[in-house]
Amino acid sequence: MNYELNSEQNKAKLSAWGAMRGLWPLLSGERNILIFAAFATLANSGINLLAPLLIAHVVDTYIIAGQYGGVVTFGFILFGLYVLGLFTSYGQTRLMGGVGQRVLFNLRTTIFSKLQELPVAFFNANKAGDLISRINNDTDKLNQFFSQTLVQFVGSIVIMIGAGIFLLAINLKLGLAALAPALALLVFTQIVSPWVKRKNAASLTATGGLSAEIAESLNNFKVVVAFNRRDFFRERFQTANDVNYKTAIGAGIANQTFTPVFGFSSNLAQLVVLAYGLYLITVGQFTLGLMIGYLGYVSNFYNPLRQLAALWSNFQVALAGWDRISAILQMRNDMMILPPVAGTSIETKALLEFKNVAFRYTPEKDVLHNVNIALEAGKTYALVGPTGGGKTTTASLMARLYDPSEGTVYLSGRDIRTYSAEERTKKIGFILQEPILFSGTVRDNILYGNSEYKDYTNEQLQKVIHDAGLESLLVRFDGGLEAPVATSGDALSLGQKQLIAFMRTVLRDPELLILDEATANIDTVTEQLLEDILKKLPAKTTRVIIAHRLNTIENADEIFFVNGGEVTQAGSMDHAVEMLLHGKRAS
Amino acid sequence: MAEPTSSEAGPAAPTVPSIFSILAPYRAWVVWLTIIAIIANVLTLYLPKLVSHGIDAYVTHTSNLPHLIVVFGGFSFGIFLFTYLQSILQTYVSEKVARDMRSDIVNKISHQGYRFIEDRDPSKLLTNVTSDIDAVKMFVSQVVVSLVSSGVIIIGAAIILLTIDWRLALAVLTIIPMIGGTFFVILKQVRTLFLQAREVIDRLNKVINESIMGAALIRVLHSSDVEHKKFSGANTRARNLGISILKLFSFMIPIITFVASMGSLIVVTLGGYYVVNGSMTIGSFAAFMSYIMILIFPILIIGFMSNLIAQATASYGRIYEVLRAPDEKDEGTVRNTLEGKIEVKNVTVMYGEKHALRDVSLTIMPKTRTAIIGPTAAGKTQLLNVMTGLTVPKHGDVEYDGRALETYERASFYPQIGLVFQDSVLFNTTVRENIAFSTTVTDESLQKAIDTAELADFLHTLPQGLDTLVSERGTSLSGGQKQRLMLARALALNPTILFLDDFTARVDAQTEAKILGNISKNYPDLTLVSITQKIAPIESYDQVILIMEGEVLAQGTHQSLMESSPEYVQIYNSQRSTSTYELRT
Repeated sequence: MNYELNSEQNKAKLSAWGAMRGLWPLLSGERNILIFAAFATLANSGINLLAPLLIAHVVDTYIIAGQYGGVVTFGFILFGLYVLGLFTSYGQTRLMGGVGQRVLFNLRTTIFSKLQELPVAFFNANKAGDLISRINNDTDKLNQFFSQTLVQFVGSIVIMIGAGIFLLAINLKLGLAALAPALALLVFTQIVSPWVKRKNAASLTATGGLSAEIAESLNNFKVVVAFNRRDFFRERFQTANDVNYKTAIGAGIANQTFTPVFGFSSNLAQLVVLAYGLYLITVGQFTLGLMIGYLGYVSNFYNPLRQLAALWSNFQVALAGWDRISAILQMRNDMMILPPVAGTSIETKALLEFKNVAFRYTPEKDVLHNVNIALEAGKTYALVGPTGGGKTTTASLMARLYDPSEGTVYLSGRDIRTYSAEERTKKIGFILQEPILFSGTVRDNILYGNSEYKDYTNEQLQKVIHDAGLESLLVRFDGGLEAPVATSGDALSLGQKQLIAFMRTVLRDPELLILDEATANIDTVTEQLLEDILKKLPAKTTRVIIAHRLNTIENADEIFFVNGGEVTQAGSMDHAVEMLLHGKRAS
Repeated sequence: MAEPTSSEAGPAAPTVPSIFSILAPYRAWVVWLTIIAIIANVLTLYLPKLVSHGIDAYVTHTSNLPHLIVVFGGFSFGIFLFTYLQSILQTYVSEKVARDMRSDIVNKISHQGYRFIEDRDPSKLLTNVTSDIDAVKMFVSQVVVSLVSSGVIIIGAAIILLTIDWRLALAVLTIIPMIGGTFFVILKQVRTLFLQAREVIDRLNKVINESIMGAALIRVLHSSDVEHKKFSGANTRARNLGISILKLFSFMIPIITFVASMGSLIVVTLGGYYVVNGSMTIGSFAAFMSYIMILIFPILIIGFMSNLIAQATASYGRIYEVLRAPDEKDEGTVRNTLEGKIEVKNVTVMYGEKHALRDVSLTIMPKTRTAIIGPTAAGKTQLLNVMTGLTVPKHGDVEYDGRALETYERASFYPQIGLVFQDSVLFNTTVRENIAFSTTVTDESLQKAIDTAELADFLHTLPQGLDTLVSERGTSLSGGQKQRLMLARALALNPTILFLDDFTARVDAQTEAKILGNISKNYPDLTLVSITQKIAPIESYDQVILIMEGEVLAQGTHQSLMESSPEYVQIYNSQRSTSTYELRT
């Protein structure tokens, strides 16, 4: 699967209705509330339309006739109506708004679950800054739509329809004339909306680019300073800033087109009613009193329409954001858990076995081809070879970060793809090349993802750490378990970060422990401690060690030489060194 | 966490200037915007008058329909023209302000030291440049015009009402303070909720960001449940806050509509009374009815604007804090060509209460090779940062060729030193630009650096060679390839001094030996400072400096340290069992 969100084939292009259908599942469970909300909206709009009618009646029958008593009676009726409106308006806002908030909640959850479901390849194919912008910024656009716009949107449409019906009912010919500009507007909106949406999409893309640009430069600031390329930072930013500025103005102007045009057509409708109405009066088909009321209904129709115009651009922005989010939601994980059917198991004593495994990141280039290796329980294996030879890829296949392009990886004789993620990760511990920490304390970080010890008190945990022989590592942190950890900054050295990652994985007591240059930045004295810890692991634990420093692997039971897409047994340490010295370079 | 010590935090923050002050440089634009907005609104206010004149003229049989159509059409077109002009101008000015302010922030950041970025936290700075700017932009595009338009309409409508019938006008206008009061009370509560919501959204984003950055780890540990829990906690809080805000709004909107309806009721009952007793005409009554509708909307707008102003003020406060930070001092004027002598004198670096380096002194002579060795977290990288001016020490000095580091002009100093960091820092651009990162690099020095770093073979395998794009975080490259790119970047400068931070950790022994050989062959006059873990390759170095817990424990040649420093011997012994292999390379 092509995981690159910005590639042409993955750019979602949805119509407004397509987008609505996509959002529909998020509304499940809201049906009853939506029905109540619809009632409240109808009642509220009814009151809004009825009040002017009553007032017109009061004017016609009582005020002009000079009967003040009737005015007072209807004053009370009006008051009652307004009090009723207090409740319907509350119900409408509260219910619709509640739906909006819950939809947003579901939407965020859906996106987050999708992110959790997608494989590592997805994250390698996309820039972190752009992903973050999609999820934070674009969801926020939908947030604005749901929390602010939706209620007005629905209310405005109902009032508009009601007023439209009144206009047609009072006088069909005049009504049609009054609504003609609205029809023109509809056509106009249909034509213009795709353009507006395109402008907004371009603007959101530019914003994503801008955010990615700044994120990269800020994270690499060390190099910017040391190579005195502050100008590079400024220039690259300025380019992104200018692109963003231009597209934002384009989108802004597009969004602002609706309001003046809608206002203009509203005024045109008034003019039509005034001119055509006066003509109808002359030919005796209409009265002056009706005409004054009619002008009122025209504004009752066009005012919400004008509001809709402002909301419409919000809607277009939200749609553009939804497209970018849909692109993520459309992604499918191509690493499914297979059912454990016959033929997916083999007879083997090995804990982990590669059978005819080939792997490529892109169709053009094999990274590994026809790899056959077997790792037995309780032994220590080392992977050596030149940089870029495929060591990390081999290890990643062992932990099923990727699936082989051809062939099968067997874990305890079963196709590794038939294990649930939980079973698999319980058996396999992988210490990654780049240690990843979360802000919090050392305790938070070494217990991260560890369900067994997560509720232990510090004392109980100390004991576990002591038993695992990890105590000597913990003392390297001022404050021990409670030592603070920040994700950025140099307060912790790379070596210290690697120590935390090491403790985190060892505490999980995996059957297969993979160390991918996991101790590269740790000094040799501490490394000896780590080695002692590794030696003391339970007898059944299998270790796979990738390292450049040969002292780390001298105790390995078997050494594999990984280069040029092949994994070969090196036999002895001497042989491995021989191959490293004279073996082919990675090509 | 890298907390700045209190003395570095600077004096107490002065009061942030009013958000309106940001408009000062754009005064001419704002004046035009105001004028256009006033014209558009005055025209709009006049439209109902035209309608009533039309009707009156018809009643009195002085009607001139074509004339009415022309005038009305002209007004409508004028309104259209001016509102469109207004919105274009609005967009233009607000985007201009946003763009300029973004540039200001980035300019400011680009003049800061490395420590500034670390202390501020890159993700917060990112928020400053994105969300905070958005809030300010919203202020410029919405608030200015809305305040002007609403002001014109409220005052205009009020004056018209007062001229028609002052008694009824006064009665009707009482709804304005009532609506204002409701707004004031409710928005005050909403504002604190808005601030909380901002925090919750920040937290939500942080969780999402961590789950993106740590995607590989989460899959290796199968910890998506933990992430889900963190996420749904924040997401639930966001929803509940959203609903709390909604509750307040769903009170406010009906109350305000109700108060506004009371205005109509006053007109009907009191106005009706005046009409019945003959002290007001039916025409005036109708005018009251239509103007009261016009009056309510701008009051609502002003209320919402007060909210936007509050949000923009908070955001501007955060931006201002960055903008007012003093620039890193760059007063150096010395442009001498470096000889390569480095002296570190009594340097102390603090992280909060903790000493990262304590009273460190050392001397490195030109054209020598020096190794810095020591356990994890000993302060080796800190020392490198101090020596290269990335970190300014709390006490002590760093001197090059007998002159303090600060006296050198940055633009002439940095091209003379090459730095290879421990972690790979790659930019999302071509391989060529990543290596020739400094502007002073020539094609010749680029080629020499590539050959020295043993990258030529690798580059040949790339589809577009040097012009291949490196993806962000260099995920498509292996650890060793990244490290060699970093080395080539430093060497391409033809540096006088080369600093290596644990360079060999991710490169295999064979390549390492080749590269080190290449360096001494191709760059014979180089002063080399290398942080390393391995003793074997540095036995022939001119000087070895052993650091532990932020202090220099021993310095001298390998031989002398083997005789004088038990700690050094301990490290040596930890490596000896495999030294036969290392030595052979």
